[in-house]
Amino acid sequence: MTALELIDVANQVLFIGLFAAVLWRALKQPSRASWDMVLLFGSIAGVVFLARAAEVLQLGEQPWLIGVILLLLAIAPYAMLRLVGDFSRTPRWVLLVGGPVLAIIGVLGFVAFGAAPRLYEVVAIAWFLGVGGYAALAFGRAALATRGITQRRMTAVAFGTLLFIAAIVIAFADVLVETVDLPAAPQVISLFAGLSFFLGFAPPAWIRRAWREPDLRNFLERSIHLPTITDERRAVVEIQNAAAGAFGASGASIGLAVAGRPVLRYVNRAGDWVEYADDAFIPGRAYRQQQRVVALDAMELDPEHAAVYEQNLATTIIAAPITTDERRLGVLSVYADRAPIFVEDDLWLIELMAAHTALLLEARSHATTTNSLRAREESARLKEEFLSAAAHDLRTPLTVVLGQAELLERRVARDPAAPPDAVGISRMVREARRLRDLVTELLDAQRLEMGSEVMDLEPIDLRTVLESVRRRYHDQGIDLKVTTPADAAIGSIDEPRFEQVIDNLVENAIKYTSSGMLPEVELAVDAGEARILVTDHGVGVPEEERDRIFDRFYRATNVQGTTESGIGLGLYICRRIVEAHAGRIWVEPAPGGGSTFVVVIPAAEAAASNPAPADWKPSSNDPSPDAFEVAADA
Amino acid sequence: MREITILVVDDEADIRATVSAMLEIEGYDVAEASNGADALHVLEERRPDLILLDMRMPILDGWGFAAELRRRGHRTPIVVMTAARDAAHWAAEIAAAAFVAKPFGFEDLIAAVERVSPPAA
Repeated sequence: MTALELIDVANQVLFIGLFAAVLWRALKQPSRASWDMVLLFGSIAGVVFLARAAEVLQLGEQPWLIGVILLLLAIAPYAMLRLVGDFSRTPRWVLLVGGPVLAIIGVLGFVAFGAAPRLYEVVAIAWFLGVGGYAALAFGRAALATRGITQRRMTAVAFGTLLFIAAIVIAFADVLVETVDLPAAPQVISLFAGLSFFLGFAPPAWIRRAWREPDLRNFLERSIHLPTITDERRAVVEIQNAAAGAFGASGASIGLAVAGRPVLRYVNRAGDWVEYADDAFIPGRAYRQQQRVVALDAMELDPEHAAVYEQNLATTIIAAPITTDERRLGVLSVYADRAPIFVEDDLWLIELMAAHTALLLEARSHATTTNSLRAREESARLKEEFLSAAAHDLRTPLTVVLGQAELLERRVARDPAAPPDAVGISRMVREARRLRDLVTELLDAQRLEMGSEVMDLEPIDLRTVLESVRRRYHDQGIDLKVTTPADAAIGSIDEPRFEQVIDNLVENAIKYTSSGMLPEVELAVDAGEARILVTDHGVGVPEEERDRIFDRFYRATNVQGTTESGIGLGLYICRRIVEAHAGRIWVEPAPGGGSTFVVVIPAAEAAASNPAPADWKPSSNDPSPDAFEVAADA
Repeated sequence: MREITILVVDDEADIRATVSAMLEIEGYDVAEASNGADALHVLEERRPDLILLDMRMPILDGWGFAAELRRRGHRTPIVVMTAARDAAHWAAEIAAAAFVAKPFGFEDLIAAVERVSPPAA
């Protein structure tokens, strides 16, 4: 057996083997693309088979046989054209023209090859070069547009096509042009074409594994840090980008199950959660059925949301449920504007990624649990600190009360007729009052600590709050100077709590002003903000302490040791309340000495409308594109 | 017989007054100071036999005062009086003779003072 014969046999085995492989898969997973592959390799295998049969049966150069062989040969480029159409967007007219042209060439093979071989050869070369070249180019472009294993397989297909066309054209040219003499070239090139096709259309498992490895590694590397990302939306978008990147898809989308409600929530393009019924869209079907779904034509399969799919370049969607230990966490889907070229690889990959995503989500939820435990520990520690500081501050007045009481007791025991110790008694009363104030302050802080998040915010004219504070001081014989705007200043507030803030600031202002000058209170509304200023004429707050006085247990150094009570909770309580109103509080030096405490909260419009309910679901006539919005490039 | 003089150092005026009254009714001679620096002045004037010392005070705290006292060569015993939970620890830090933790009663204070004060000459 010569080398050429060996190559011939290899070619025959290769192409017939390929035919068997694609036929087997088409029967297993029928789709337009898989039948087009059968057409391609069926035609080539047919040529090989007939040529061999003619040799064995010594049929010679029967015109009908040559006609059939030429027809089969001419079918190959047409099958390639159809495959191009399956894998990428091909102008409709290309396919429409391709069919009739093939028919003409087929007829020519029967009638003209014998009579005018030159003519046929020229037409055939034109057909192969034109259509085959177009197909090779289109496969090459498709390869560039994809990533990962699909790109590798597509590249192999493009090379195979190019080599196959080259082999045929050289074979024809060999006959056509006498000066061209490349005896074994078509066979050798065809062998390489066959090998390329083999890698592209039916790669063995070990090659696939090797080709998938970098994509998986990439996906894992990009997702490994996700459990530590605190913002769940960001984590979801990261996984989506990693998945889309691994597939070279237009995008990917993750829907997360919501405990206790039949919805899936997605992150839209703006980065917000949007909820849809858990059977909405094709991913919803995968979630409901708990099995992977391949939608080669999403718009046809789910016409209700066709506009959404179109807008997101989601012709094809493959989706797999994200499930762990029977817990349904959500669904992962990847979409592209072309059919999956090698759907079995894509399915394998998406299931793996869904499993990995399940792990990531689990890890995240564990991380969240850990964080909340840590937060609980921190709050326990703060409580401990709080109690310890509180106990410390209660001890001093208690020492005085106890000591003075014992002294009184002793004095009376020694000399019942002795005059009462007026100074000692007033000391005792003063410290007992201080104890009472401290206890009140502590209880306030404690209450706030526990319930600061359950405030009842209602739109209230802030002028009425100031008026109520003014009136109360007026009743005590203190006339505050209160300035308010002519128009209503509506703030969304918890009235008793907010009044507590103003009251506390005014009380401080009076307490720390020794000159007897009264504080001034001013309300102003500007640019959607209400601003309340409480100005005193006291000693002022040292600059370096202006932030710290709002901390828990902090007392400005220049008021420590004064007879005024306080354990440094008043302003802390104020800050907590103001912050619960989405506001800010700070202190500025007042012109001419003293301080101005500034409270700013959002000033709501009087006729503010309610926000949309959270469980909004899209209706069929309002398809929102949000569900699938993800940046295409990862 | 010389009276025993006790220096009461505390930034809280009411505490000073109360402690002084307790000591006076027991027959001690009492001097007062509102912080460590103040106490150093009073110290040279009155030469106390015992110092009742609060620890957290403005200007010069208990630690600073104790260090300066020793540096000047005085061996006057100190009784720490503090509201802190680690009163014993603080007392050890400045090598105090004893401590009383606020809130202390009459008996606690006098017991500590009697245990530490030198026998009246």
